[in-house]
Amino acid sequence: MVLMGALPQPGWAAPAKVDFNRDIRLLLSDNCLACHGPDSGKRKAGLRLDLKEGALAKLKSDNFAIVPGHPEKSSLVERILTTNEEDHMPPAKSGKKLTPAQIDLLRRWVAQGAEWKPHWSFIKPERPPAPAVKLKTWPGNPVDSFILARLEKEGLKPSNQADKTTLIRRVTFDLTGLPPTPAEVDAFLADPSPEAYNRVVTRLLKSPRYGEHEARYWLDVARYGDTHGLHLDNERSMWPYRDWVVSAFNRNLPFDQFTTEQLAGDLLPEATREQQIASGFNRCNVSTSEGGAIDEEFYVRYGVDRTETMATAWLGLTVGCAVCHDHKYDPISQREFYQLFAFFNSMTDAAMDGNALLPAPVLKLPSDEQQKKIRQLDEAIPGVEKRIAAELARIDYHEPDPRPAATNPPQDFVWVEDAFPEGSTLEPVGAATQWVEGDRVFSGKRALIRSDAGLAQDVFSGAAQPLTPGKQDKLFVHVYLEPTNPPKTIMLQLHTSGGWTHRANWGDENAIGWGEKGTPSKLLMGQLPKSGVWVRLEVDAAKFEFSDGTKVDGMAFTQFGGTVRWDKAGIQSGGGQFDPASESLLAWEQQEARRDKSTAPKEVREAVKQKSADRKPEQVKLIRNYYLEHIYEPKRLIFAPLQKEIADLRAQRSILEQSFTATLVSHEMDKPRGAFILKRGQYDQHGDAVIRGVPSVLPALKTGATTNRLDLARWLVSPEHPLTARVSINRFWQQFFGTGLVKTAGDFGATGEWPSHPELLDWLATEFLQSGWDVRHMIRLMVTSATYRQSSAVTPALVRRDPQNRLLARGPRFRLDAEMIRDNALFVSGLLVEKQGGHSVKPYQPPGIWEAVGYTTSNTAKFEQDHGEALYRRSLYTFWKRTAAPPFLTTFDAPSREKYCTRRERTDTPLQALVTMNDPQYVEAARQLGTRMIGHDIDAGRRLDFGFRVVTARMPSRFEKAVLSEALNKYLARYRKDADAAAKLLSVGESPVSEKLNKPELAAYTMMGSLLLNLDETLNKN
Amino acid sequence: MNPIHERLQQISRRHFFKSTGLAAGRIALAGMMLPELAQAAAKIKPGLRSHPALPGLPHFAPKAKRLIYLFMNGGPSQMDLLDYKPSLSKIYDTDLPESIRNGQRLTTMTSGQTRFPIAPSKYNFKQYGKSGAWFSELLPHTAKVADDIAVIRSVHTEAINHDPAVTFIQTGNQIPGKPSLGSWLSYGLGSECDNLPAFVVMTPSWTAKRDAQALYQRLWEAGFLPTKHAGVSLRSKGDSVLYLNNPPGVSPDGRRDMLDALAKINAAEYQRIGDPEINTRIAQYEMAFRMQTSVPDLTSIKNESKATLDLYGPEVVIPGTFAHSALMARRLAERGVRCIELFHREWDHHGDLQRDLPLQCRDVDQACYGLITDLKNRGMLDETLVVWGGEFGRTVYCQGALSRESYGRDHHPRCFTMWMAGGGIKGGTVYGETDDFSYNIVKDPVHIRDLNATILHCLGINHSQLTYKFQGLDQRLTGVEEANPVQGILV
Repeated sequence: MVLMGALPQPGWAAPAKVDFNRDIRLLLSDNCLACHGPDSGKRKAGLRLDLKEGALAKLKSDNFAIVPGHPEKSSLVERILTTNEEDHMPPAKSGKKLTPAQIDLLRRWVAQGAEWKPHWSFIKPERPPAPAVKLKTWPGNPVDSFILARLEKEGLKPSNQADKTTLIRRVTFDLTGLPPTPAEVDAFLADPSPEAYNRVVTRLLKSPRYGEHEARYWLDVARYGDTHGLHLDNERSMWPYRDWVVSAFNRNLPFDQFTTEQLAGDLLPEATREQQIASGFNRCNVSTSEGGAIDEEFYVRYGVDRTETMATAWLGLTVGCAVCHDHKYDPISQREFYQLFAFFNSMTDAAMDGNALLPAPVLKLPSDEQQKKIRQLDEAIPGVEKRIAAELARIDYHEPDPRPAATNPPQDFVWVEDAFPEGSTLEPVGAATQWVEGDRVFSGKRALIRSDAGLAQDVFSGAAQPLTPGKQDKLFVHVYLEPTNPPKTIMLQLHTSGGWTHRANWGDENAIGWGEKGTPSKLLMGQLPKSGVWVRLEVDAAKFEFSDGTKVDGMAFTQFGGTVRWDKAGIQSGGGQFDPASESLLAWEQQEARRDKSTAPKEVREAVKQKSADRKPEQVKLIRNYYLEHIYEPKRLIFAPLQKEIADLRAQRSILEQSFTATLVSHEMDKPRGAFILKRGQYDQHGDAVIRGVPSVLPALKTGATTNRLDLARWLVSPEHPLTARVSINRFWQQFFGTGLVKTAGDFGATGEWPSHPELLDWLATEFLQSGWDVRHMIRLMVTSATYRQSSAVTPALVRRDPQNRLLARGPRFRLDAEMIRDNALFVSGLLVEKQGGHSVKPYQPPGIWEAVGYTTSNTAKFEQDHGEALYRRSLYTFWKRTAAPPFLTTFDAPSREKYCTRRERTDTPLQALVTMNDPQYVEAARQLGTRMIGHDIDAGRRLDFGFRVVTARMPSRFEKAVLSEALNKYLARYRKDADAAAKLLSVGESPVSEKLNKPELAAYTMMGSLLLNLDETLNKN
Repeated sequence: MNPIHERLQQISRRHFFKSTGLAAGRIALAGMMLPELAQAAAKIKPGLRSHPALPGLPHFAPKAKRLIYLFMNGGPSQMDLLDYKPSLSKIYDTDLPESIRNGQRLTTMTSGQTRFPIAPSKYNFKQYGKSGAWFSELLPHTAKVADDIAVIRSVHTEAINHDPAVTFIQTGNQIPGKPSLGSWLSYGLGSECDNLPAFVVMTPSWTAKRDAQALYQRLWEAGFLPTKHAGVSLRSKGDSVLYLNNPPGVSPDGRRDMLDALAKINAAEYQRIGDPEINTRIAQYEMAFRMQTSVPDLTSIKNESKATLDLYGPEVVIPGTFAHSALMARRLAERGVRCIELFHREWDHHGDLQRDLPLQCRDVDQACYGLITDLKNRGMLDETLVVWGGEFGRTVYCQGALSRESYGRDHHPRCFTMWMAGGGIKGGTVYGETDDFSYNIVKDPVHIRDLNATILHCLGINHSQLTYKFQGLDQRLTGVEEANPVQGILV
């Protein structure tokens, strides 16, 4: 590994005095602390080098690792110098090796007295005075003094200010993610005032695009996505949280509130709707519902993810290292990790997300319109209830004389013959239901026939006239098994209000897995009946152990394999199919009292179970009214329509409610789950129980009666905290200058990089705090600095001296981020639809990307592209499927959003060139840019000027113009010769092609548009 | 000194023409119009590999130059394919002894079962090759190359569900966010070709018409490594590489014209600005152009002999099949691609294994044989490492209804079987042993970390020294716990 970090980069001036934090700490971390660090479990030779006391203590061997001022007496120095392989440090098998420069540093450090300092980032930043500089005219604000002081120390000079067109394009991209229009450039060029630039910055900071742009960076940190991220990777509804982030930046919500509301918005007193939405931050982690997954394991994973994300985003600490053991480099013990974890392991969301769009807890967000409709429905329902009450009051009910008990000889009541019972719904499994006529029909005109290799059936339920089996009755059906293709098993299943829980099985009792053998859920009727003849199958109703009054409203004729004919089914009954309860309240009460399960409401059930003498008057009325309204046959014609009316209203309400936008939020359990140290990080290996707390190296946490996420959030933004302001401001710096003052934006610990400008970082951190966490103020400071406004042109000497531009002797220049590249193309072509917020959209994407990975039943296994304006929204609103993120964004280093990301890589690959040249989105944008060029002027030269200016903000040079003209002429010639090719090119994209334009000409300008969109200058902020 | 002059001195035109490999005619125009273009672009070295190996890598002389990984997503059943357990037949439908299960955690799909009845494999096994390795009748073709492969019957993992398990074996961690094996290879060993990516992935079709377990792009993404190391999908439908083809109505000449104009303007920009990144961009556009011709050349199989095609079986001519993808793997290997991975889906047979496993085996069996034989015929097997296997194994006990002929099996992380062949691997080896139930390992366990360490070893990499610093840690494919190459299968 290349060691950059604390060591001066090649070409930087080597300081004479060794500084522990700058020069030594990282060196020790990288090479020594794995065995001589905070992890007590792995410590060798009793030597601990991260603490002064440890390093100066006498070793087990009686030697001293370090004797300050005496390298010759220090075994550390001896061991790194020795050529004896056994003694040499670091040991060969570690794969670590010190360079001569590093060895020299360590030796000099010991010689200079081996000074120790606590790790810099754990010390509260003090506001340093702006340093004195020689070039007094240069600094525009204190930021510049720090930058210039360092440059002067390095013997470098700042660059000139960038020209105004470069500058306005740079700052417009940086503050809004979009380029300036030519009119905006003109206005800036025409404004000679020294305040002109500040005015531009003010305008941009107020633009609603500012929030959209800033939100994008934060959404990487927050790991925002539109799917769950694991296994099925179904859609989840988090976008209201995304819109909250946009709005938070546009409202310039102070960063401390920004922090508190996201980590603990749900716990704020009288939390507003917005604050609860913000708490969705904690729900952005990936989640699963994979069959077989173990709840406890995932509770732990989610808790760890939330803890790590919080720690990386605000503390800049890699606490994840302490999941399995004490942190090897930073003073964070495993216990302290689980104390932090304990803040996040007691939210009410379930381990299994159910693959649902809205796994609880969620917040529903009805629009005003929807709320109005709900109120209307809520008012309508009582109206119908009143009408029902009036009808009930009108009935003069008298108990009828009992009918004589049935004594008839049993007879068949045929239910299925040539048709299914009236009112029933048919749901076959396997092939469609098939009736056959002909000689092999048992009775009537036709019989059912079904062939299948596996499980198949004809199923109906919901018959208007159900069967009411009595104890002596028998259910029957006739079957004919095909002798050449007999089934393995046949089954008769019955449907009641309790569902499909009654089955009779003939043949192989294992072939069909449903039910428990030998119980009414699977009566074992023995062998298959004889094949080749019609056989009547009968089952005694008593065997099904129906409770009294049970109604059978459906049957299933089920088989496993083979060919089976089914015919004439029903019930053999002596009692007729009259149910006395349909006319007699008393009969119903008796049935109801004996029933184990019932559809009647609880209070009715309770009343019925009371002895009639003990019932209170209101209970008597309750029973009567329930019976008359729901059971009593003579009045069904009155009540059925009223009930339907009410059911319809409730259904409407429920559908409406389901259509509400909603978003995942945090919600805390009443009683926290226990938290434990997990041995080796294993979810089921509990060690000691721990309580919520923060690492002891950091300021103490103010605890209350309940210490929760809100206390944690307030602790993060307390003025004593050494990390939050530094870590946060560093990310903003990184956004504008390409690299943070601390390059390792997510690691401010011992293994993180020493800041390039420590005093500047502290000044910015204190300024952030003093400003009341005013993000806009801080951003203004950065982009109005002379540092930011420098030209980015560079000499080879400076490239060699400072390839990554860490010293900032020139302005920032780097490739635009994925979203900016696409948004720019949409903007300059005039296609961009600037509509804020809402459900994420699915613009063009090559076919097969989701399909290649998606679980076949996932609701994101098939990509269905949107149309119309959804194709042209800012990339922020693109639907983010986390197991297959949008390719036109990930190709340009956008992260998958499965995990937090504080710093995107910035690569340059041929695949990127293919996107901007060939992706239909870019080809369509090129066509529209070409259309704009043609529409701008009749003269080709001025058209090219205009196009060039739209994408780069400046006019082309003579040379550039010549190259463009030459290319244009080639394309004109080509497409005039080949009109067919022109038509094909223009067919790309769904936006209309202007009919007025000459097609070959437009095709040529489309290619010019494409050329302009692919210029290096277009793809960069310059 | 004038910086422009200084820059001019750095570069000579001679050097440019030697190193770019661009068609001279193309450059001539640019050179005449703008002498400095040539000089500016000379810093780029197209014509060479797109990115080199890390300094010091490989750590030692590699046995294999590249990896072809045939991944069977879902968890193939080891005791129906390669881990022969003849004694199970006698104890059909008896309960798995508690002493064997030994408190092992189960997935929640079978943890509620009241019984764990033994389901013997219904398939016949025979011994093949000098090693006498046992192969199921479902793998008749693979069996023919028994002496070229090392069967490892003692691979194990901790993850018990698909998403974590497949993420674990492919990225070294159950939790998303780490770089994939192929991206580590691209990062460490660099690319050997200038017109194809270093890491190519295919997701062939499968025959069993069941719901197939998901894949995740993270299985070939680069995690915290620079994204240029991510696997690039070679697709059978649409553009073979995403966005590879010019839009309709744009000919290769038309594209060339645009690139020439682009290079001139970009080179002029370099003159003004001096940012070396501009040259990198010019080079990447040129490589994109080369890919536009090299990829169609790659995917055209018209020059493959009938004898070669016959090795892979009849489906080799159907794009998107496993057989066709296996042939593509060989063609990619020939062109110097560092890592080629095929993800074949639908090996998750909880029920009706007897219906689906034969179909899945038919998809891959002959193609695996064909690939090994084809590589061998071309003298490439010695320098190509081939790996076959899934993310975990399956249980000896039945999930759902059991009969002699029909059964299902749940996930089983405690042991499963993979095979390796080619560069660095001792062919004809059978390594590791499981108990009579293929439930526990009794000899020579191979954790998937060891497996990954072995893969790296064959490619000349000491797994503990291929690191990337991220979030304070020297991150490795094999993580922080101990891992060792499996010496017993190495040459």
